[in-house]
Amino acid sequence: MTPLFATRNLTHSYGDVKALEDVTLDVPRGRIGLVGANGAGKTTLIRNLLGMLQPAGGQMEVLGRPVSRESLDIRSLVGFMPEGNCLPLDQTAADFVGYAAELAGLPTDAARRRSSEILFLVGLHEERFRFLGDFSTGMFQRVKLAQAIVHDPQVAFLDEPASGLDPEGRDHMLELIRRLGDFGISVVFSSHILSDIEETCDWVVMLDGGKAIRSGPIGDLGIIEGLIVEVLGDPEPAARWMTERGATVKVTGAQLDVRTTGEDAFTLVRDALVATNVGVRRLGQSAVTLEETFIREAEEEDRRD
Amino acid sequence: MTNRPPEAVIVDRGYRHYEGNRKGRRGAMGAVIRDGFRRVLGLRRKGRRKILPWTLITMMLVSVAVLSALHYAANQIGVTDLVADELPHNREYFEFISRVALLFIAFATPELLVPDREQGVLAVYLSRPLRTIDYLAAKGMSLGILMLAFLMIPQTIFHLLLGVFSPDGFTSYMVDNLDVLWQVPATSLAYFLGFASVALIVATLIPRVGFAAGIFLGVMIMFNGLAEFFVEVADFSGSEYGALLAFEEHPHLVRDWIFGASTSDYAVTRAGFEPWVALMAIVAISVLAVTLAWNRYRKLS
Repeated sequence: MTPLFATRNLTHSYGDVKALEDVTLDVPRGRIGLVGANGAGKTTLIRNLLGMLQPAGGQMEVLGRPVSRESLDIRSLVGFMPEGNCLPLDQTAADFVGYAAELAGLPTDAARRRSSEILFLVGLHEERFRFLGDFSTGMFQRVKLAQAIVHDPQVAFLDEPASGLDPEGRDHMLELIRRLGDFGISVVFSSHILSDIEETCDWVVMLDGGKAIRSGPIGDLGIIEGLIVEVLGDPEPAARWMTERGATVKVTGAQLDVRTTGEDAFTLVRDALVATNVGVRRLGQSAVTLEETFIREAEEEDRRD
Repeated sequence: MTNRPPEAVIVDRGYRHYEGNRKGRRGAMGAVIRDGFRRVLGLRRKGRRKILPWTLITMMLVSVAVLSALHYAANQIGVTDLVADELPHNREYFEFISRVALLFIAFATPELLVPDREQGVLAVYLSRPLRTIDYLAAKGMSLGILMLAFLMIPQTIFHLLLGVFSPDGFTSYMVDNLDVLWQVPATSLAYFLGFASVALIVATLIPRVGFAAGIFLGVMIMFNGLAEFFVEVADFSGSEYGALLAFEEHPHLVRDWIFGASTSDYAVTRAGFEPWVALMAIVAISVLAVTLAWNRYRKLS
């Protein structure tokens, strides 16, 4: 299957500011998280992939088609949910979403039918004939998602879809995004809230300062399983024992935070405690979050620079 | 045996993929044009959005009815001199409808462009198979079709009614007035370009529909006054070119030229310019307006 998108040395500048710098990526279809702090280049990358911005250098392909030559064809097959306001307040949800489908080339009758179906899908069927100016922020976000998928795209680019939502609205939006993947629509979901990506996506692209610092399956992104062990007595001998065997151990009082990359953490801790004759008071599992991984990768990137 | 009602309910209709045809760029442009009609006419909008366009359309249709009734009455009582010399015909009727058309274009042009730009909807348009130039061209076509319909439909009704009421008979009137068939469309086009180009410049720069409409009308009136100043008061070499600032008068001049009528007392003619100069001025302002809009929207997108 052709990859979702691929870039080679993609560079984009706003005047003297480099928003993207030599970004090279190969991203498969699926639910893709695009993470990075504000200003990391997420929106610029999406707009370049849609052909809405012209890069200063490099090549891009979306769905196996070169963006430089086939951007209009690509746009028929993708949907885009912008981060900011993009809804006309004097139209009803049904009219606008239907119009968005017509803009993607669907005939009028099909556009109206799809509008009704998609507004049902995003939970706005009852409100579809209300004017958008009367909608709440959560409803706004759902209409924005609806217009992005009404024409049945192969991939939907969602730029910060959960921004401005309350916890309930956020959960609902993340659930909708998960379901899009189940329907066979790939999703590129940009966010600076890493827990949202962790919950939703199966592949992560990390951007920092316009550079791609990591791209891979979420399970392989160095997310290390670890254990928190509270011991009776001196923790130092056990910590030394485990460090000598390749583990990363952080000692805080009587507590050991043990991280392993290859070896099973439970086995290592058990052997360490037996070897150093130390009793255990408490044992619990810990995992390095995507956020910690992102910070680590960003720091490593800074050191390399 | 008890009859229990079914307990199953449909909680999710699932998702159906679309397998029909996609019309691409042409379909997208068609959608923008149709949306332009709805937006300007206030269709599928709240009631208050319909008031202004439909008031102006009603004014046009009522004026046709009144004028045609006057012609009918004059023909019935046999005052043919009055019909020939005093009552307005197609050229003179433009005098009235061009004023109404000025109001129409004052609100229609910003209505087509400003909300998309200020409410961020451009981002949705440009993520579809549509280039910036396609978007602007489609908006221009919306405005052009509406404006030409606004000017030509009353003129067509008027022309047909004049034929019906003519003492010489319908066919004879139509044959005698064949020139009207090109004069009315050509004049309507001149009014559209003359007014819409200035309205486009204003709508490209001003972020509110109401302000843009007011500023457009203000510019048209103020620049007429400025042109008068250059013709009547200013006394330096080249001051006569100031007459070309009378943007509102250019289409009137072109209309008189097209209808072969003696040109009325316009600043441009008093400054010594021929009607073709007014036509060139309209073309120049149109080119300027399109260039400005293209540059602004290119940066926005």
